[in-house]
Amino acid sequence: MKRPMILMTTLMAFLIAMTISFPAMGANTIKIGVIGPMQFVQGKGHWNGATMAAEEINARGGVKVGKKKMKIELIKADSNEFLNPTDATNAMELLLSRDKVDFVVGGFRSEAVLAMQDIAMDYKTIFIGCGASHTQLCLRLAEDYDRYKYWFRLTPFNDQLLGRTTFIHLGTVGAILKKSLNIPQVKVAIVAEKAMWVDSMIAAAKGLIPKMGMELAGVWQPSQAATDVSAELSAIQRTEAPLIFTIFSASVGIPFAKQAGELKIPAVQVGINVEAQKDGFWEATQGMGNYVMTMNTYARGVEQTELTKPFVDKYIERFGETPTYTADTYTAIIHMLAPVIEQAGTLDANKLIPIMETREFIGTANLVKMVSTPEGKPIHDLKWGPGYATSLGVQWQDGKLVGVWPNKWKATPEAPEITYKGIVPYKIPPWVIEKYKK
Amino acid sequence: MGMLGYYIRKFWMFVKNEVLVLPSRIMVFLFFLVLLLLPVFTQDPYLLRILILTSIFAILAASWDLLSGFTGQMNFGHALFFGVGAYTAALLNLHAHLPPWGSVPVGALGAVLAGLIIGIPCLRLRGTYLALTTLAFPIILMGIVFTIPSITGGELGISGLERLARSRVANYYITVVIMLVVCTIMWKITNSNTGIIFHAIREDEVAVRSSGINTTRYKLLAFCLSGFFAGIAGGLYAHFMRIAGPSTLEVSMSFQVVIWAVFGGIVTIYGPIGAVFILYPLLEFFRFWPEYRTLMFAIVILLILLYMPDGFFPWIRDKIETECPRCKIRNIATRKTCRICAAEIE
Amino acid sequence: MALDIIIAGLINGSTYALLAIGFSLIFGVARIVNIAHTAFYMVASYCIFLIVQKFGYHPIVGMLVAVPLITLLGLICYKLFIDPIREHEAAVLIGTIALAIAIQEIMLLIFTGDYLSVPALIQGYFTIFDVKVFYQQLLTFVVALIILGALRLLLMNTKLGVAVRATANDREVANLMGINESRVAMITMGISVGLAAVTGAVVVPLTTISPFMWMHPLIMMMAVVVLGGLGSIKGSFAGAYILGFAEALVVFLIPMGAFLKGSVALSIMILVLLIRPEGLFGIAFEEER
Repeated sequence: MKRPMILMTTLMAFLIAMTISFPAMGANTIKIGVIGPMQFVQGKGHWNGATMAAEEINARGGVKVGKKKMKIELIKADSNEFLNPTDATNAMELLLSRDKVDFVVGGFRSEAVLAMQDIAMDYKTIFIGCGASHTQLCLRLAEDYDRYKYWFRLTPFNDQLLGRTTFIHLGTVGAILKKSLNIPQVKVAIVAEKAMWVDSMIAAAKGLIPKMGMELAGVWQPSQAATDVSAELSAIQRTEAPLIFTIFSASVGIPFAKQAGELKIPAVQVGINVEAQKDGFWEATQGMGNYVMTMNTYARGVEQTELTKPFVDKYIERFGETPTYTADTYTAIIHMLAPVIEQAGTLDANKLIPIMETREFIGTANLVKMVSTPEGKPIHDLKWGPGYATSLGVQWQDGKLVGVWPNKWKATPEAPEITYKGIVPYKIPPWVIEKYKK
Repeated sequence: MGMLGYYIRKFWMFVKNEVLVLPSRIMVFLFFLVLLLLPVFTQDPYLLRILILTSIFAILAASWDLLSGFTGQMNFGHALFFGVGAYTAALLNLHAHLPPWGSVPVGALGAVLAGLIIGIPCLRLRGTYLALTTLAFPIILMGIVFTIPSITGGELGISGLERLARSRVANYYITVVIMLVVCTIMWKITNSNTGIIFHAIREDEVAVRSSGINTTRYKLLAFCLSGFFAGIAGGLYAHFMRIAGPSTLEVSMSFQVVIWAVFGGIVTIYGPIGAVFILYPLLEFFRFWPEYRTLMFAIVILLILLYMPDGFFPWIRDKIETECPRCKIRNIATRKTCRICAAEIE
Repeated sequence: MALDIIIAGLINGSTYALLAIGFSLIFGVARIVNIAHTAFYMVASYCIFLIVQKFGYHPIVGMLVAVPLITLLGLICYKLFIDPIREHEAAVLIGTIALAIAIQEIMLLIFTGDYLSVPALIQGYFTIFDVKVFYQQLLTFVVALIILGALRLLLMNTKLGVAVRATANDREVANLMGINESRVAMITMGISVGLAAVTGAVVVPLTTISPFMWMHPLIMMMAVVVLGGLGSIKGSFAGAYILGFAEALVVFLIPMGAFLKGSVALSIMILVLLIRPEGLFGIAFEEER
């Protein structure tokens, strides 16, 4: 009976001791907080990318701040965003008040980042977002520039642009189907998880699909955590739609691809399927996720800029998997922050922000530039378009995730034609060809 | 001057005879004192943030105990009141521009309505049936939240709410004072006639009914009171975090509340409050080992349950106090004779 | 379309039935609400994953190893954590929740949060009345029926079965009659966890494995058991199929509302309870002294 009491008292003593004091770390380093869901792929990407950047910079002596060279010190914060947004805000507060970081990079789940952003703005610390796509995060700058100017979004581009890009993929694949399989009018079945960012996309899709010369077969919305979608697949098959437009960010993307593959549903899948971006997707679907196409930022063998290949190769060599877009914390630190600090000669956020706002630089995935609203108000959002950020369309082909878009893509008739190095042609699944080539 | 001296002496007599005689009362007194005076010694924003959240969850846990501990209606869906309070306060604040001191109480009234809505079907249910049914309600509400995202903000929730106050310290005082006041009210309720009836309903509802008391009314009252206080916690949470999202309705939140309350000791109001003040900072403290955090938390719970199945605080209380066999008044354990009736205590 | 619904309903229902029967059994006999029931189902899935994907054996081997292993694990957990506090109902509830969370965290530590999967026992699908059905789904349906039959045989025709039923009926009198009540509870716990493991073996190839996969089936399972009536095996069976059909109806009739299927199922449960507070076949047991 004595044991629990002793355990309790020791624990309480520890707790009090810890909360009261904490030694300040060396003042000669630049402290960068990396915050993300560290138990999951996205957070690991945050941390890995940041680690690679910090090591590279420290190997060459550090960042030159004015007269002296300062090394980078990374502080890891597990936001646990998927399970508990309250936890995320606590972690952010800890980073800023206890660890006193100079900069923060990371963030993933929009609901949590909205709250975390507020805290970083309270502390007037530069926060570079590497994962949350919600438009509101940047629009807040238009409403209250002085408060929110410390926020920059490096990746991904906002969800409206995500929608636009994915519709381009839809149109491209629809055209391929029409041409190779001789289908006069392609029917599209939309399958999307139930989420707010999805709703606006579905509404837009309903309007765009007829304009692209295709027909809407129906809309299905399973829950994000659904594990059995055979009912939805049966219904889709009845409509005889050869194209399934997927909008998945959560786990439902895996069983959907797996079951569609197992049942040999005669339709191709294109759209957004975040689970399909991961290397583990092939195993998770037991190989049935073949021919699934989705958006992604990196793919093995594809080079968007001259910095892509060295980054991707080094990342794969060190961590064994292709980087996800959250690993752009690498670009955030080594290409976005470090050069600006050296140029301004100081860590003062107010001196760095004007430079970051107007600067255009080559990143590992695209040419990076921050945009403003049409009225000229800076909102620190990522610029999209040919020559800037376009991301990739990737497809699983026999166990390999390869880049298939942009392939001879023209954004507008006057725009330059874009094909990145390493892009390969899109493949239609053989059982779909069989059904339509009768 | 003489009057002042008189009151000071009276206060001192009260403290000496009522408060200082029992260690549990001393602890409560110290607890109040420490919480209220903490910002004088340290203004560390992280510490204050943790204590604010702890106070909010303490109100939530205490309100659960009022319903499930005292009245015996095991409520596994307490997150419903929390979420309804949070969302209602958020909607009022955003659309009707009600300031926090208005939106939080009115939000709590929304939670009371929710309490009635779920209380009525639950009247005829007992024990495990009741527990599992109440579990269903927050899930259904979450489905509805996702169905009307234009009003509820879907999975992103409602953001951009006003703060409770300008500075972190002001926030702290508002929350802590509200917590102390609300918990004292709940404590007083349990000591009143209504509280006795609640307790009796838990023990033997048929007997209570045969005494001529309308148990239906009291059960509904329990649901409403519990809902009201939980709704206040929800409103405070929404205004502190400045966002009200579906995470307030999750099953894990309901489970957390039950874990806290049972850990601390049900059928006491101070049990759940104390439990939250121990467990929530403990979970934050475990941040040093991020992968093992939740696991350590679960193991702590399991171990405590093995050794102290009635709850942590009742166990401690039994160690330091004993009951007099004759007059049933509690005495500090080191005494040989009762302080009131002078009977012998073993 | 009607056929789609019927078939989908049968398949959903079988999954829930397998889970609910085990849960209902332990509740009926020992009055233990085992919230960790689906957590054991999850451990069985991970065990099979390990054996099949990492060691390369055939899924059948995986199943045959996993079921006894998990049953053993369940019994150990029961003896260590639940048995000592059986008298305090509230504590048992929290104990099983904490156990489920602990199991989840251990799985998260060993396997990380990535999604995994297991190949089916019988690959492929067949078409019946124009609807494509996986062989594995048919297997689930068949296994559910077999288990129900086997359990009925056990309960009605064996001495152990009589002991289990007696304990479920009235614990104290069973004790008086010379039945070792705590041993019966332990055996029932074993059967219950064993059933969870079998469910894992049969259902897992159809779903994705993750450390959080235990939460959703838990809720549906509890809804099924409450709907059917706690303590009644045939009630759980009936409840499982009713809710399975309800879910299938939602998916087919309101495709845009497919995410609501959980909410609809739960609402049905509440409606039934309004009319019949003990569930469909439940026994309105008196307060136990």
